[in-house]
Amino acid sequence: MKRRDTRSMAEIATGIAIAVAVVASLYFYMTGAGGTEPSEALPVAIALILVAFAVYIFWDRAKNMQRGLPAKDERLANMSYRAGHCGFIAAILTAVGAPLLSELLYGHELQGSHITAAVVIVSGFAFAMSYLYLARKGV
Amino acid sequence: MKTRIKEFRARDGLTQEDLAKKVGVRRETIVFLEGGKYNPSLQLAHGVAKALKTTVDELFVFDD
Repeated sequence: MKRRDTRSMAEIATGIAIAVAVVASLYFYMTGAGGTEPSEALPVAIALILVAFAVYIFWDRAKNMQRGLPAKDERLANMSYRAGHCGFIAAILTAVGAPLLSELLYGHELQGSHITAAVVIVSGFAFAMSYLYLARKGV
Repeated sequence: MKTRIKEFRARDGLTQEDLAKKVGVRRETIVFLEGGKYNPSLQLAHGVAKALKTTVDELFVFDD
């Protein structure tokens, strides 16, 4: 087995372990909270979509490796770079815009933890959407 | 940019997956290259040309 393949397999295994840990955390959060508020449902749903997206990426890589093809190549690296750029821009805009919007629309300041959550969710969503778009359209 | 990858691949009786394995890229990359939807690096262009026993000039047609 090539060194590149071993590294890819380690990445896939780590990624899947993290995805399982996130799902378990969400499960314990939901069950431990004694029911979820409607306002919590959307972030949890988006987090689950992001986990599903991450699992899709790892499944796609594993599928390629099974067929004797590389898990990653230069086009995929380019695509990830561009999608990462979109995610980064979304993170900056969310970090600046979320407190402003909250102040303007609801008249109260957002807590730091809520801003962090918004940044993670929005940038993750932006990354996932741009990745899927680029995968269809081409880089 | 247009490519003649499909033409050369058919000449050699290779599938997209065969070519992808020879070049060391994913099959989707060959699909995008054939459709002219991806500008490869010089290294990849050279790799594809070598796998199809031709030259980069023969394989990629640039509109001036």
